[in-house]
Amino acid sequence: MTAQVTEIERTYDPVSVSPLAFWAGTWEQRERSFKFLRDERPVSWHPPLEGALMPPENDGVWVVTRHEHILEVSKNPQVFSSARGVMIEEVPDDINEAASSFLVMDGPRHLSLRRLVSSAFTPKQVARIHDQIRRQASAIVDGLVATKEGDFVSQVSKRLPMWTIYEMMGLPEDQRELAAHHADGMVSWADEDVAAGREPGEVLSEALVTLLQIGMEHTERRRAEPKADLWTNLIHAEVDGQRLTDDEIASFFVLLSVAGNDTTRNTISLTARALQDFPDQKALLLQDFPGRITPAIEEFVRYATPVMTFRRTATRDTVLGGQQIKEGEWVLMMYASGNRDERAFDDPDVFDILRPTNNHLAFGGGGPHYCMGNFLAKIQLTEIFDQLLHRAPTLRLGEPEYLTGNFVRAVKSMPYTL
Amino acid sequence: MGFADAAEVRKYIGGIFEAAFEDPEIGPKLRDTGIVLQFTFTEPDSVVVVDAVKATVGDSADGAAPGAVMSMAADTGNAYWQGKVNLPLAMAKSKIKVQGNVASLLKLAPLGKQLFPVYIETLRSDGRDDLIV
Ligand code: HEM
Repeated sequence: MTAQVTEIERTYDPVSVSPLAFWAGTWEQRERSFKFLRDERPVSWHPPLEGALMPPENDGVWVVTRHEHILEVSKNPQVFSSARGVMIEEVPDDINEAASSFLVMDGPRHLSLRRLVSSAFTPKQVARIHDQIRRQASAIVDGLVATKEGDFVSQVSKRLPMWTIYEMMGLPEDQRELAAHHADGMVSWADEDVAAGREPGEVLSEALVTLLQIGMEHTERRRAEPKADLWTNLIHAEVDGQRLTDDEIASFFVLLSVAGNDTTRNTISLTARALQDFPDQKALLLQDFPGRITPAIEEFVRYATPVMTFRRTATRDTVLGGQQIKEGEWVLMMYASGNRDERAFDDPDVFDILRPTNNHLAFGGGGPHYCMGNFLAKIQLTEIFDQLLHRAPTLRLGEPEYLTGNFVRAVKSMPYTL
Repeated sequence: MGFADAAEVRKYIGGIFEAAFEDPEIGPKLRDTGIVLQFTFTEPDSVVVVDAVKATVGDSADGAAPGAVMSMAADTGNAYWQGKVNLPLAMAKSKIKVQGNVASLLKLAPLGKQLFPVYIETLRSDGRDDLIV
């Protein structure tokens, strides 16, 4: 097969993903547009995403909807760089730098910084805290079954990820709620409900500055009183013979807070609801929980796709899916679409916990930025669903209240009864 | 080394905005922001008020109340306009305090970036290498 290269046509695609209204709509509405784009124009040109933080500097952006092209972009970091930002709308450089640490770096610097913390997230290290996570999941479900009704997100989903990431860091318990709250703020700026009359930039700035402060205070705390935790290790770690600066460590704190909280939380909420909507799948899982939970979790994250998008920037002229991409242009990966690509998954809209192969993009499309916390997330999901399915069989969930935004697929609240 | 007195602060930091208003590309964009921004500096004490609507740079907010007030040491201001200070990190360390509308400052960010080289060039051509960070 020879690749056809379309001449550069800078007309915007009529099926636009740019308006905020697109992201305020439902998953199903977006999927209809994505499906059309996957079939007809898998790499398409769009106006800059309607953002609220600053005026866009580009004329347009490339939107990538097929599974195969998302893999191609992810695995080719020399051409598709993260260093110029990974959010699909325009965010000021200062914010990227302070909030995203090695997520927005390329090459050796990315690798060195990632290595500093990645050792704490290997299967072996995570196995060491597995028991603690199990106990915590059990305690959370103790709390749940003692109630009759409430909000599932605050009662269950939010707690295990929050406990886990901050326990690893050694953050004092009385700081954790506040930190998790501001981690939410970092992904919620486009939501009117969260903003409550404030401008998006104010929400983001307050969340970021507060998280940086909590991180800086924690660094001082651990410097004065070292413990056997991730934070103490980070303070003493050296990259190329140099210690990290306090600013760099604070930025790590923000990255880990956001990555460790919102993603797993939303997977728990969305999966709890999926298991209710597909009772046959729940029954299948319960028939052999230990034997089926591992493949099931891959389906949980594919089906939920809590991280809907990330971006890269072309470092040189290139061709992707037959389109000519110019140096400096933005390439937006729609994981939400790639995870429903019928070329990669049979019956992609079906929640099927026994999919024989499940090469999903929920943790990214491979390459150097592939989710560092994926083992940790999987252990949390295993333990919380073990507890929920076995100990709260009468759990009934109501309608999820979704967050408006183009980054995480977040459930703000979801009522439950027992 | 740093700024000798308030007049110098106004000359250089205020000067950035005077140059910006005159720039055919940056000027209109700056005016479009409609912002009235006050800088309150210490060491030396000085105030610079930028009124994007009237395209003026002064030393007090006569008339329009500022939409945002940024307070910092003059040294921090000098480094900021050379692109050497990260705003959220500086705010977290209370090196820069912002009262009022932070969101409007974020919207200024892309313009700010374009002004850094202009500022550095001004310092250089005035022989003020001592102020270059
Ligand atoms: C179900 C839960 C999770 C999902 C769906 C998820 C998803 C993702 C995705 C899509 C990426 C970007 C991959 C890429 O650019 O190729 C990523 C990166 C990352 N994730 Fe996760 N994540 C989850 C849980 C976690 C947890 C619990 C942590 C723990 C701290 C974590 C830490 C990170 C970090 C640090 C990165 C940046 C890696 C880098 O830039 O090198 N994630 N994650």
